[in-house]
Amino acid sequence: MKKFILQRLTYSLISLFLLSLTIFLFVRLTGDPTVLLVEPGASKEDMAMIREQLGLDRSLAVQYASFVKDIVRGDFGKSFYYRTPVLELYLSRLPSSLFLAAAAMVFSLVIGIPSGIIAAVKVGKFWDNFGKVFALLGLSMPQFWVGLLLILFFSVYLGWLPSSGSGTIWHVIMPAFALGWFFAAAHMRITRSSMLEVLGSEYVKLARLKGLPEKRVIVKHALKNALIPVLTLAGINLVLMVNVAVVVETVFAWPGIGRLLYEGIAFRDFPVVQTTVLLSGSMIVVVNLVVDVLYAVIDPRIRLGA
Amino acid sequence: MPIARALVAALALWTVTVTPAYAAPEGQLTWGVHITLAPTWFDPAETPNLITPYMVMYALHDSMVKAMPEHPMVPSLAESWKASPDGKTYEFTLRKNVKFHDGSPLTAEDVKYSFERYRGTAAKSLKERVASVETVGANQVRFKLKNPWPDFLTFYALSSGAGWIVPKKYVEKVGEDGYKKAPVGAGPYKFVSFNPGVELVFEAFDQYWRKSPSVKRLVFKMIPDETTRLAALKRGEIDIVYSIRGELAEELQRTPGLTLKPTIIQAPQWVAMLDQWDPKSPWHDRRVRLAANLVVDRNAINQAVTLGHSRITHSLIPSTFDFSWKPPAYKVDVAQAKKLMAEAGYANGFDAGDYYMDISYANVQEIVAGMLQQQLGIKTRMKNVERAAYWSGYTDKKYKNLAYTASGAFGNAATRLESFVVKGGPFVYGSYPDIDGLFAEQAAELDRKKREAILHKIQQLVHEKAMIIPIWELGFLNGQGQRVQESGLGLIPGHAYSAPYEDVRLKK
Repeated sequence: MKKFILQRLTYSLISLFLLSLTIFLFVRLTGDPTVLLVEPGASKEDMAMIREQLGLDRSLAVQYASFVKDIVRGDFGKSFYYRTPVLELYLSRLPSSLFLAAAAMVFSLVIGIPSGIIAAVKVGKFWDNFGKVFALLGLSMPQFWVGLLLILFFSVYLGWLPSSGSGTIWHVIMPAFALGWFFAAAHMRITRSSMLEVLGSEYVKLARLKGLPEKRVIVKHALKNALIPVLTLAGINLVLMVNVAVVVETVFAWPGIGRLLYEGIAFRDFPVVQTTVLLSGSMIVVVNLVVDVLYAVIDPRIRLGA
Repeated sequence: MPIARALVAALALWTVTVTPAYAAPEGQLTWGVHITLAPTWFDPAETPNLITPYMVMYALHDSMVKAMPEHPMVPSLAESWKASPDGKTYEFTLRKNVKFHDGSPLTAEDVKYSFERYRGTAAKSLKERVASVETVGANQVRFKLKNPWPDFLTFYALSSGAGWIVPKKYVEKVGEDGYKKAPVGAGPYKFVSFNPGVELVFEAFDQYWRKSPSVKRLVFKMIPDETTRLAALKRGEIDIVYSIRGELAEELQRTPGLTLKPTIIQAPQWVAMLDQWDPKSPWHDRRVRLAANLVVDRNAINQAVTLGHSRITHSLIPSTFDFSWKPPAYKVDVAQAKKLMAEAGYANGFDAGDYYMDISYANVQEIVAGMLQQQLGIKTRMKNVERAAYWSGYTDKKYKNLAYTASGAFGNAATRLESFVVKGGPFVYGSYPDIDGLFAEQAAELDRKKREAILHKIQQLVHEKAMIIPIWELGFLNGQGQRVQESGLGLIPGHAYSAPYEDVRLKK
């Protein structure tokens, strides 16, 4: 077990190293950030001075080494645009993102799991088809469009909900719906397929042969096992909701990490983009690591295979 | 008892006669802004020469001389100034009893410090021409220039943050980073809080020298999406909204209770014919350049894109700028344009190559390109470039053929010509010796009338040579809600945003 954990930990560290290198290089492909910090027509000397202030006049290798060294010390650098420590910015946005992600996750699970179960139990019937259409719409409709429709209907036409911003429970309803629908659709699809697989298994057939009521077969015997892949996916999705709800947060002016990332990209704010992506990647790596370890605890074949 | 009564009566009389007759600031005004506010805009030392930071500067800070509703250069913190006859010395007398938000008095030492501390992009060109800055007592400051410089005041007060005054003692106490986190100025509003990317809050400074503001609290909410901004205005969540374009602007106009508030900003847009100095290029022929000007239907573009709220000026110099000259209008005349093209040997048009454009205004440029092709057969390949990269490529002289051009920088006709027309300017791909000569002449001319005549002559030559295809002075479309009595939009000619903030008012 110890060997298995060490191996997974090594993989995680390699993943983070590769992620840091990739984002460090990719963000630099977007262009020179100094052109966004000066007015058009600024002199070359002024731009060189700013480049020097930001440390961009050094070689890529030196910049990367300094970036990694600072991260190890817990220093994620200062935002080029906001001139504030990036970690401070990230942490100030984190509570809003967590709140939105939690609300969207609750919505996606409350809608996705029951509709997936119903679709699996009533295969080919109305509720299955309805579920498929619901999932298709959730997966295919652009989030910005859903967001704008919600604003126009619930804020402008009905006047029920605030159009943007944050602060109250009312503010989170529309963004959570716009963000959660996509994931509800994904959760519905995986619940349906997982349930179908479990419902066709031998032990479920045996339970039915023993004369157990159908409701009990579904809830007690099938659902328990069918939920494992759903919850695994939900864990990863939660991390995604926290970190990359760029479109929804922009449409609703929600002060979260997704919007911070959007601003970072728009202003070529390298430290902001690097930190946001790296911390988001770290969350995914940690979640995966925990899931791997839990699987190994549950199923000895996994750790022995390793 | 009678004595007490008499005292109370005297006190009441004193209160009525001596206390300034203004109401205490009250209420809150909320703006929905389209851009992301930056902390560098809180600090005049780093303010770029762009319109946008002045959205914050006019609230938080005050300048020695600044643009106000009545004139582009109004004495503000400087009560008066005088230039020496040789044009090498400027002496400013400060207004008395002006205070910063922390209660400290504004002195000549602060003025000197703010100039020396300024490190924005105009710093080099400004400081290398100033020999010294001296304080003459607490209320006077003397700037000595190395050579006569007629545009000193324009650069010092309008084109840079050097003339916007910060408190020396406070900045030295809190440090540079501390200052950006909690800026103190001498403007009509005090800094309260800034949540990066979310909102900025100001509170009225009732000791502001000009007058106490009417509104207690100003909130600037950053709402990047245009539809969301309009929805927030409709619901009354915000009171004033910036940048609502096209169909959304029409909707705003139709909505009862909302008012469309266009501001014409000091940002003319035009098409530069970059190849006109190349004898092999069709654009080298003035008749071709003139023909292009005669087929661009500026009024149609104005109606289609800015609901008719832009100003058609046929010039690259903002009409609000000092020394601007109003050229004759180009009237649409397709027949004459075709005749000119035929005379130049391009009766069937030509392939004009690339047409570079800032993607933010691609909608306008696409219409222009369409008109050139449809009416004269001048074909172009549109090259949309993201804004920052676009301007960087422009100044790096990477473009050829045609290029969308615009500027919202502060200044006067001379500063604008220097950037876009005269040899050596950052956006200049070629120039004409007669214009270059006249420009050098005006730069040394201290007589205002004579200088104005030369600058008018230069603008006349730009027009006669048909150097550019002017489009308009951009109409920036904004909106205001029902609670607003005075939004401040359009009060200062050429300024895009609400200002002066001490004049904005809520309905009673």
